[in-house]
Amino acid sequence: MSTQHANALQAAIVAIIGVVILYMILSARGGRELFIRRIPGLAAIDEAVGRATEMGRPLLFSTGLVGVDIDTLQALAIAQYVSRLAARYGNRLIVPAVDPVIFAIAEQLVREAYTAEGKPEAFRSDDIRFLSSEQFPYAAGVMGIINRERVASTFFFGYFYAEALLLSETGQEVGAIQIAGTPATTQIPFFLASCDYTIIGDEFYAASAYLTREPTLLGSLVGQDIGKALLMLLVIIGTATAAPHLPLHVVSQWLARMLHPGG
Amino acid sequence: MQARKWAIVAAIYAVSGLLGAVALWGLTHLLSPVFRPATGVAFGLAIAASVVLWIGLIAVIHRLPAAVKKRIVVTATFVAGLFYVLEYYLPAKSAVFFWRAHHTNPFSPMIFTVGDAVSVIFGFTFFLAAFSLSLVHGKSIAARRPGYHNSIAFFVAFIMMAVFGLWETYSPDTTLIHHIGWIRRVTAHQVYDHLFNSMYVPLTATLFSVLSFYMATAAFRAFRIRSAEAAFMMVAAFFCMMGQVPLGMWLTHNLPLHGPLSHLRMEAMANWTLGVISMAGLRAVTFGVLVGGLAISLRIWLNLERGAFFEQEL
Repeated sequence: MSTQHANALQAAIVAIIGVVILYMILSARGGRELFIRRIPGLAAIDEAVGRATEMGRPLLFSTGLVGVDIDTLQALAIAQYVSRLAARYGNRLIVPAVDPVIFAIAEQLVREAYTAEGKPEAFRSDDIRFLSSEQFPYAAGVMGIINRERVASTFFFGYFYAEALLLSETGQEVGAIQIAGTPATTQIPFFLASCDYTIIGDEFYAASAYLTREPTLLGSLVGQDIGKALLMLLVIIGTATAAPHLPLHVVSQWLARMLHPGG
Repeated sequence: MQARKWAIVAAIYAVSGLLGAVALWGLTHLLSPVFRPATGVAFGLAIAASVVLWIGLIAVIHRLPAAVKKRIVVTATFVAGLFYVLEYYLPAKSAVFFWRAHHTNPFSPMIFTVGDAVSVIFGFTFFLAAFSLSLVHGKSIAARRPGYHNSIAFFVAFIMMAVFGLWETYSPDTTLIHHIGWIRRVTAHQVYDHLFNSMYVPLTATLFSVLSFYMATAAFRAFRIRSAEAAFMMVAAFFCMMGQVPLGMWLTHNLPLHGPLSHLRMEAMANWTLGVISMAGLRAVTFGVLVGGLAISLRIWLNLERGAFFEQEL
């Protein structure tokens, strides 16, 4: 079985975007001030944790259905922020895990958050639990936890599949404030319909930069924006030269051939 | 001064990347005579030796200072990422990059083996998962918490699926019941088949079917015309939904199949909305997601990730 390899144009695009991201990271580390706009879903995290504390009901954080992946690592970074808040307010945070490795990381992460806030005795190891690595058993487990524990706030960050609507509608039934963020474009509409705040697409990857204001992360975010602008330029060039009667039609054909997977 | 410093860092990464690539290539040539397919006793000895080696390695790493452990993790992350970067971005065949016979990419044949190795590592975490589940449900039964009967059901299901799953894999034709009353013969395969196809699959299908009802409730709650944008979305959703069902297609079935008026057919409008307008937005979001994924991958690979657990001592 053969594997796919990048051609020259694909490698060049990734290299250019990578260099731009690295340059902006170094620039931010050098003291350059960078602006990040307000993201309502992320700004509402504090409100959601505070509301749950006032109601005396726990929080629930789901990291999605994928194992150790960049999406889940990003979700765990947000989970760490939420767990620090929960520990500070003395509230419970339930983290159902879909993968044993995620379970181990999440347990360590939440335990250290409670310890860092000076409340190690408030940490309950039973609140971080592995449910199942299968889709609907995991969904059934989370739905059961939401109903039994009557959670006041739910956080769905990570890569979700069809179970997204099951989880968010169950949260709606118990009256929880819900914040969701996923790079899964197929599940964004369902989260938009059933959650109070939804973080779309690359706002999910901006979350760690937004919450921590770390210069490295802010610089990376600006580098991503420049990278997207470069991709937009390619799209415009390809679209503008797509008409067959144009002399530059060969440019569009070349771009389509080179950017096709396996091309 | 700052630029010079980071130029030196970039040069160090480039040199270590080159050395890492050479080391990876050399390591595979050194180890390939050792790791040959084995059977029987040799296979068992190879497994036992690997387990002992890894336990020893983990014990040694556990005793190292936190700074050294972090350096090991950073180096292993860089080398592992370097393998996949070199395999993908170097061509399959090149006389410029590869000087050995046939000029083929030396990393490509290894990619499936490396993937299998990663799967084996994740397989060890299965015991962690089983232990965690048993602990939680065991405590629930011991403390007689409300709903502890569900924890009893968990243990029954877990043990039965594990036992009959293994039985079905290694000896499916084993007879469990032979001529009792009206039961003629029951094999391990039949029991497993019943547990999986007659119990597990319908249960998951039931939960999946609940999705359709939740879609209706979510749509009823979300599709409220409170603003101009909401009204626009409602109209677009109406056309998209009507274009998917026979009733919607029947409404415009009198329009011709070809020509300008064919674009006003319900299914044509639905397909255009989904395939052109909606697809453009979906692809725009996908662009952002992919660039964001590239940025995070770069940060983790080059040890630039900050915040959360990336700066914690191990």
